[in-house]
Amino acid sequence: MKKIMKVITGVIVSIVILTGSVFAQTTPKLTDPEIASVAVVANQIDINNAKIAKQKSKNSDILKFAQTMSDDHSAVIKQAVALVTKLKVTPKDNAVSKKLLSDAEKTQKGLRAKSGKDFDKAYIDNEVAYHKAVIAAINTLLIPQSQNAELKKFLQDVLPAFNTHLEHAEMVQKMFSK
Amino acid sequence: MISILKWGGIIFLYLFLSIFFKSCTRPEDNAIKPLEQKVQMPDSTQVIIPTYRPKIHTVEISGMKFNPDVITVHKGDTIIWKNNDLVVHCVTELPTNAWTSSKIPPGASWEMVVNTSSNYFCAIHLVMKGKIIVE
Repeated sequence: MKKIMKVITGVIVSIVILTGSVFAQTTPKLTDPEIASVAVVANQIDINNAKIAKQKSKNSDILKFAQTMSDDHSAVIKQAVALVTKLKVTPKDNAVSKKLLSDAEKTQKGLRAKSGKDFDKAYIDNEVAYHKAVIAAINTLLIPQSQNAELKKFLQDVLPAFNTHLEHAEMVQKMFSK
Repeated sequence: MISILKWGGIIFLYLFLSIFFKSCTRPEDNAIKPLEQKVQMPDSTQVIIPTYRPKIHTVEISGMKFNPDVITVHKGDTIIWKNNDLVVHCVTELPTNAWTSSKIPPGASWEMVVNTSSNYFCAIHLVMKGKIIVE
């Protein structure tokens, strides 16, 4: 139980850091190549989380959710790459994408250390928190700062998928709180 | 002479407009009207049986939603689900998975002849739901 509380606290702290310090307080100014990088990195992180879940979980609800995350975020990356190639934009590393990656590394290290139901719960809790943070980032940072109209529209078009993932994750999360 | 031209113009305009509006009638407008079928009985009486020409309906999948999410059809009609979304979806009966489209990739579609009312969902994105009402 203490361990679970630790994970939850960790997740909450990372959301606060993610939404608070990176996305709000400093309000970084991002160029289109940097926005493209954040979009690709944010999707790739969730594919990596799903990969860990597929290796570690035996729960069918978790496995199905992880498969959906893996398939959908791969589809989004594929289309993001097609768009930036068409727009001749080369994704560029930046403070936000680096912060996302370093936070994800810590989260994934924590997930790898768990097993069984502890893992399932930690994974789905993180998915709920992560999707909330990414949705907030798309809405408050990526969409408002996109210069190119097609890039802006692409980000608006991927939002429903992220929102649906969040609802799905919350549904699975409820099954574990019973 | 002027009145001949005037009447000729009016007749021409009438013919033009009637042809124009006839060509605007969509073929499916005829499809939704119940038709009558005349059957000659052995005792030479005629029985008129109303028949219905099945219609085709389309449900668009976009923005992670079935549009429309509730569709009312007649028994024997066909529903086409067209995936105009960024990701793969499916159409699966609720709650017993009695029928399923399997995966419908972006840009693809799947169709089914409908005989009974049912609820359905996307088994890939469990929160996406739809309903078919058969009248």
